[in-house]
Amino acid sequence: MNSLLAARGLIRLEVVRALRNRKFLFFSVLYPAGLFLLIAGGADAGTKAAGSRLDLAPFMMVSMASFGALTAVLLGNSERIAKERESGWVRQLRLTPLPGRGYVLAKSASATVVSLPAVLVVFLVAAVTKDVRLAAWQWLALTAALWAGSLCFAALGVAIGYLATGDTVRPVSMLVYFGLSALGGLWMPTATFPGWIQRIADWVPTHAYAGLGRSLVLGHAPEPRDLAVLIASFALFTAGAGVLYRKDTLKA
Amino acid sequence: MTTISQPAARTPVVRLEAVAKHFGEVRAVDGLSLDLYPGQTVALLGPNGAGKSTTLDLLLGLRGPDRGSVRLFGAEPREAIVAGRVGAVLQSGGLMGEVTVAELVRLACQLHPKPHPPAEVLAGAGLDGLADRRVDKLSGGQRQRVRFALATAGANDLLVLDEPTTGMDVSARGAFWATVRQQAESGRTVLFATHYLEEADAVADRVLVLHRGRLLADGTAAEIKARAGARRISFDLAELTGAEGGRERAAVAEQRLRALPFLAGIEVQGPTVRLRSTDADATVYALYGSGLRPRNLEVRGLGLEQAFLALTTAEEARQA
Repeated sequence: MNSLLAARGLIRLEVVRALRNRKFLFFSVLYPAGLFLLIAGGADAGTKAAGSRLDLAPFMMVSMASFGALTAVLLGNSERIAKERESGWVRQLRLTPLPGRGYVLAKSASATVVSLPAVLVVFLVAAVTKDVRLAAWQWLALTAALWAGSLCFAALGVAIGYLATGDTVRPVSMLVYFGLSALGGLWMPTATFPGWIQRIADWVPTHAYAGLGRSLVLGHAPEPRDLAVLIASFALFTAGAGVLYRKDTLKA
Repeated sequence: MTTISQPAARTPVVRLEAVAKHFGEVRAVDGLSLDLYPGQTVALLGPNGAGKSTTLDLLLGLRGPDRGSVRLFGAEPREAIVAGRVGAVLQSGGLMGEVTVAELVRLACQLHPKPHPPAEVLAGAGLDGLADRRVDKLSGGQRQRVRFALATAGANDLLVLDEPTTGMDVSARGAFWATVRQQAESGRTVLFATHYLEEADAVADRVLVLHRGRLLADGTAAEIKARAGARRISFDLAELTGAEGGRERAAVAEQRLRALPFLAGIEVQGPTVRLRSTDADATVYALYGSGLRPRNLEVRGLGLEQAFLALTTAEEARQA
């Protein structure tokens, strides 16, 4: 908590930077909403998503909101951290009283600030163009769940940022990002996949992440497995990020 | 300029004790012991690969030593940094992109426990006109000034500068050192590494010469120059050309030259002889007494740069 306090100024500046980066905003905020229109735009009301009791529009709304949040936190963290380690900005910050974790916290906090509009814009487009209607508590719970769940991928982004170098971070993060998006069923329902891939997908954290959202749209409690997968991957990614961070600190 | 005083009662600002750091087979820092005292302005010199940057990294706690101990103000380096007592400009220190100079300086002030007002920091680093410029749009020299601003965002007691004037033109360098002098006059300890030896000569009241991770010399610029052979004596010698009387005469002349007292170095090139001497008067007296007849004799003081070269090449030769 103390480090979060010290990191306040850094968080503010990180948010300002993220909002100034048009390319980043486009891919994390506008692109998922565009994809939603492309996929669900032509679907008639009553068309069910494959393997789900949900209509295609609310189903894809959750998928694309998850995808947008994933983009913002995963790519935002990994690329920035790897590049700033290389440029020496991370070293420069180590000469300030800011605790080491303060940097990671500030990065993740600012990434989640950008992930919020990514989620909200998809909701807005879905509500306006496809008449997706939910109870007020559902909108709130859905926003909160997607936002909190994105912390899991923020931690993964930190881990990649400390694992990769400035040159390799883009291919590595893209591979993970596309893998998680496709396998987790964010682009198309996993029910359309061959059986053996479906069985793998059930354990992919992005699948659990979107699953959490779908349960809320259906008015259910979250699936225990989804919760378990998310919590376990959050613990795993955070531990991995911690180990890699400490290794980097010892190195330089 | 203050003289070097090292009363044992005062806590040193920096204390390195038998510090060693290896990178594989390379001994970057090899048993370095060092005390810096409050108010000193200290230059750290050394050829490339002498271990300057590693020494500064160890001193700032960015790396841990393999052996020995590093203390700043009697505590761990990290504690001193958290207490806001240390500011540093590193060669490898990057800057945040996509933000303006003023935003970045404000951040540094926010992070410092004893901050100065951002406007003052900007002015102190000569950045008034650049406050609204994006950091990624700056020249190399301007970026150096931003780094300096970050290092002086608060009331530090120790300022560490690694090659601080890299990328600055001559007038910017002059202005920069004027600022550093102000910092030193207000009681700060300043430690800087530089390639520009005239800067060390003009600014530092103590000079450390580092060579292969060891301390080769430690003293005022004048002392270093004296140690290296303070004066250069140059003259022409007709005997050396071998024209009158041939090779034997030249050999005898050279033998006599090498026998001169207080010699720190000798260099013969055609008829021209260049000597370095720790006591030029005695050397010249003996030269005339030796029966040689030098012409165009000149005695000049040695710059710190030449003194530094003399010291390090002598050490290279000794080790080879």
